[in-house]
Amino acid sequence: MKHLRNVRRAALLLAVSVLLLAASAVAAAAATAGSGTAASGTAWIRLAHLSPNTPAVDVYLYSFGNPDARVVLHHVAYGDVSGYLAVPGGEYSVAMRAAGAAATSPPVLSSSTRVSSGSAYTVLAVGPRPGLRLRIFNDDLTTPTGKALVRVVQASMKDPQVSVSWGGQTIASKLAFASVTSYQAVAPGVRTVAVTAGTGDTQSAVTLNAGSIHTLVVLDGANGLEVTNLEDADGSSQLPAGGAQTGFGGTAPHGPGSPLPWLEVIAVGSVLAVGGGLGLRGSRRRTTPRHARRIRA
Amino acid sequence: MTARARWWAALAGAGLTVLIAGTCGLLLTRHGFPGLRPAPVARTAVAPAFPAPTAPIVAAAQTAQPAPVPTPATLTIPEIDVNSQLSTLGLSAQGTIQVPSTASAAGWYTRSPRPGAVGPAIILGHIDSYQGPGVFFRLPVLRPGDPIYIRRTDGSTVEFRVTAVQSYLKDHFPTQAVYGPTPDAELRLITCGGAFDSATGHYLSNIVVYATETS
Repeated sequence: MKHLRNVRRAALLLAVSVLLLAASAVAAAAATAGSGTAASGTAWIRLAHLSPNTPAVDVYLYSFGNPDARVVLHHVAYGDVSGYLAVPGGEYSVAMRAAGAAATSPPVLSSSTRVSSGSAYTVLAVGPRPGLRLRIFNDDLTTPTGKALVRVVQASMKDPQVSVSWGGQTIASKLAFASVTSYQAVAPGVRTVAVTAGTGDTQSAVTLNAGSIHTLVVLDGANGLEVTNLEDADGSSQLPAGGAQTGFGGTAPHGPGSPLPWLEVIAVGSVLAVGGGLGLRGSRRRTTPRHARRIRA
Repeated sequence: MTARARWWAALAGAGLTVLIAGTCGLLLTRHGFPGLRPAPVARTAVAPAFPAPTAPIVAAAQTAQPAPVPTPATLTIPEIDVNSQLSTLGLSAQGTIQVPSTASAAGWYTRSPRPGAVGPAIILGHIDSYQGPGVFFRLPVLRPGDPIYIRRTDGSTVEFRVTAVQSYLKDHFPTQAVYGPTPDAELRLITCGGAFDSATGHYLSNIVVYATETS
């Protein structure tokens, strides 16, 4: 029965190794998916000169974190608004010097502010020349579903008070010179912006798309009031819900299938091998002399 | 050896062969299919470098009525050999963005800003089909600084640079961060990633590549 014992031992070994393999496969199947956070390390700053009786200036932006670095906007005149500058979040100071003045000369005006990553800011030089000041606004970057956001900056000195409506909806009522309304949600579309003031009214067609954020600036123009429509931010007119199903799994990692079919094959093979071995042993015992068998073994 | 002994020996041999074949099959299939992709790694750009003292920057005034931006036609990402026509995508009944009808081409969500206009333009592409890799198969290997080009229907091209590559579980997708308004011209490339749920036939995560227009 030595053969049989060997076969049994082999079968036991096989069973143990199958069990170990199955266990390791289960362990390997445990997988986790990671998730990240918001991606942007950027803040945005833009600067505007909105003081009608202040001549053009050079605007300097300094980073507290990097005193050697600076941005200079040259010859910024009344009504000029820069595009947004993308900067790392941190502490900044803004200084204004008369246009062409040496960078080392004392600034006419300066102010410092902390900006956060993922936020946008507008720095306005507002007010009449004596009393000119810098005001820093945090610009909204989200709109209510299906709406546009709009606010009004009153930078007309000729008309100390203006009222502004958009498609009949009042968005600024008797707004004083050098003041700014908060953002208001409005229905999107192409509408008439009407500015009502003491020196005369002005009207213009303005497009506000759903998901966009705007600032309307009322300025003293050569021929009465002018309205500048600034786009603060824009997004999808319809914000999609959640992520997207952009894969079918053709290249996905997947775990091993069931081992059962292979185990069945192994079992059938074992039965046949053992059966065949036993049959062979039995037939030899009947046909071969004892001593010959011993020699062969 | 008698005929009977030969028969038994053949049976034992056949049994051993089946046994060995079964064992080999079992061993070879225990590891599963490893997947073809490198594991997605969340990468965020270092914050933009604040400009060092350089030549004067002219105050680029915002124009009151910016010129209309043409619609996008093709997407090119040299780093990962993507060169795809862009189909147009709307919204599904569930409020999610329709996915491109073919795995081999990307699509632009038409209610997002046009690439090069202010705001995040949204482009979707499949990571794979049922059979193999899709157009955004290698999207997760992009790194901050890699260029992305969009050719528009008027023949002009706008260039973007990758700022971050993120992986989000679909159950915790940051809708506002990905789709919400931005003050500058940006791009979002979206595909699938993470674990695959064979019960639903969907991946559990989305890979989002953030990019901004180079000025």
